[in-house]
Amino acid sequence: MEPVRYVDLLNQRYRQQGFPPYKWTINTETPLTAPSKPLAESTVSMLTSGGVSHCSMPAWNPDARNDFRLDGVDRDATGDDFAVNDSYYDTEDATNDVNCVFPVDRLRELALDGRVGAVAPRLWSGFMGRIYSRTRVVEESAPALVEELRRDEVDLFLLAPA
Amino acid sequence: MGLVARVVEAAGIPTVLVSTGRDLTEQVLPPRTLFVNFPMGNNFGAPSDLDQQRRILYRALTLIEEIDRPGAIVELDEQWPQSFTDKVERTLLAS
Repeated sequence: MEPVRYVDLLNQRYRQQGFPPYKWTINTETPLTAPSKPLAESTVSMLTSGGVSHCSMPAWNPDARNDFRLDGVDRDATGDDFAVNDSYYDTEDATNDVNCVFPVDRLRELALDGRVGAVAPRLWSGFMGRIYSRTRVVEESAPALVEELRRDEVDLFLLAPA
Repeated sequence: MGLVARVVEAAGIPTVLVSTGRDLTEQVLPPRTLFVNFPMGNNFGAPSDLDQQRRILYRALTLIEEIDRPGAIVELDEQWPQSFTDKVERTLLAS
């Protein structure tokens, strides 16, 4: 099937709710950093915005707006130990198997197989729900995450939005 | 999340984003993207399909070594077994 036209759908939604047209971020350039070592020698971390919380942490507000909480998840956490709360997508599959949106078990398996060097000490869940302050993301939250990734000596970073 | 990827990449850590929304990704332009034409939240496939989840995750990670053009979007060569347009519209328009 053709890819879903999310921009059109969301514009329609905002119009229905009586909001002014959403000002989308449209970039024409993007940075690129070459990896410094092969995947099989790299330490990998990842981030999901799918409303995924470890059982040791509070559940996310499924209707979150401008929630800048960011959870670090221990790399040994198993897929059975998560809850999923997010009203912006159909969470049934992710609730049954969190690896659909946050493949913690699969990443560990790739490291055990030697196809990935190592799983970083911490994986990440945050930036979920609707975030309207792009300035705060770019100038505060994302740079703070970068500091944590450096602390964990992360070589490669994977992001899974939902 | 595309914005986060751009900040992390610019700070010197290579990234890959596993997207289910092609038009959203084209606008934000993360450094590297694997586009998976599956429902939102099924970025790595179906529940309990361990092989598929591992395959998609590994494909995304290998893209970091393969892509040398900033903003490249590579589409995963797998199809979701049925149309999910209705499901997406129901969820998004209700949120």
